[in-house]
Amino acid sequence: MAVEHSARLEGVVEYGPATRALILRLATPLAFLPGQFISCLLPVGDVVLTRPYSIASDPDSPDRLEVVIDLVPNGPGSAHLFSLVPGDTIRYTGPWGTFTLEDAPRTEAVFIADGTGIAPIRPMIHRALATAVRPVTLLYGHQGGTPLLFADELTVLRPNYTPVVVPSAALLDETKHRYVTADAERERHFYVCGVGPIVYALRDLLRGAGYARHAVRYEKW
Amino acid sequence: MARIHVVFESGEPARTIEFDPREAPFQHDGQPASVLDVLLGHGVSLQHACGGSCACTTCHVIVTQGAQFLSTAEENEEDMLDRAPGLTPTSRLGCQAVIRDPDAEIHVRVPRHTVNLISGHGS
Repeated sequence: MAVEHSARLEGVVEYGPATRALILRLATPLAFLPGQFISCLLPVGDVVLTRPYSIASDPDSPDRLEVVIDLVPNGPGSAHLFSLVPGDTIRYTGPWGTFTLEDAPRTEAVFIADGTGIAPIRPMIHRALATAVRPVTLLYGHQGGTPLLFADELTVLRPNYTPVVVPSAALLDETKHRYVTADAERERHFYVCGVGPIVYALRDLLRGAGYARHAVRYEKW
Repeated sequence: MARIHVVFESGEPARTIEFDPREAPFQHDGQPASVLDVLLGHGVSLQHACGGSCACTTCHVIVTQGAQFLSTAEENEEDMLDRAPGLTPTSRLGCQAVIRDPDAEIHVRVPRHTVNLISGHGS
């Protein structure tokens, strides 16, 4: 089985009553790729729950990770994490996951994040911008009444980078408008992350429109 | 009773589990009555870094007999398997391959390596 590691909760960033980021100081540095996750081992009652959390920070800080957690109604894992205070210890394995970006694709790169799905997308965008030769776009779905995570950093127009914030309910239509009906270009690469059926709907829209299967990557929570 | 026979490339002892899929879930991770659910619920370890939610490939198993007793793989499972090391035509994700037939007879092999892209050889 996988080797277990430990981390100390160094800080908590509140993004609202049901969303927060945990800053983890690792006992040993962790080499990982943008987009990967750690698998937290959470003692809840008589069992140890296994829960994945995407790494929202960059690989160049290998001993200080940031993960974003949502408080899930009746979710014992997230309730446990919300109960932790700085100084507490978390056990984890990893890094894991194949939803990764090592270098920007040679084509236009489009990142689509819905809500806290921005977590793995954040380091992927950083890596993409460091290596991109073609435009990079973020389509960021915002759910009303919830915080827009990393807005100061990710919603600012920069050379080669265009962020677009749309209501979550409009994410599918906006994607269709921009990348299906607007032109016949089908060489773009997409990286999609979010919660629930919107992720599969985006996948099916893009693949159904003629984008290659391997060019539409996604992670559904 | 349904039966799963599991062998491990890592050399751990093989196990045979008898179970009634109608009594699923047997624990809390993966699809109820999935290979992962049955193994974990009967004391057999199988890596499942994402908690059995079809977000990684660490519960990759190779079905060597009885594939017809398993639920059909959906697109998200196929997409995940595309990136699994040691992929075979009968590979499945343990968390998604569900057994419904109470008379199923299934044999699976657990590959030695699961995916950890940094090292190339996770554990």
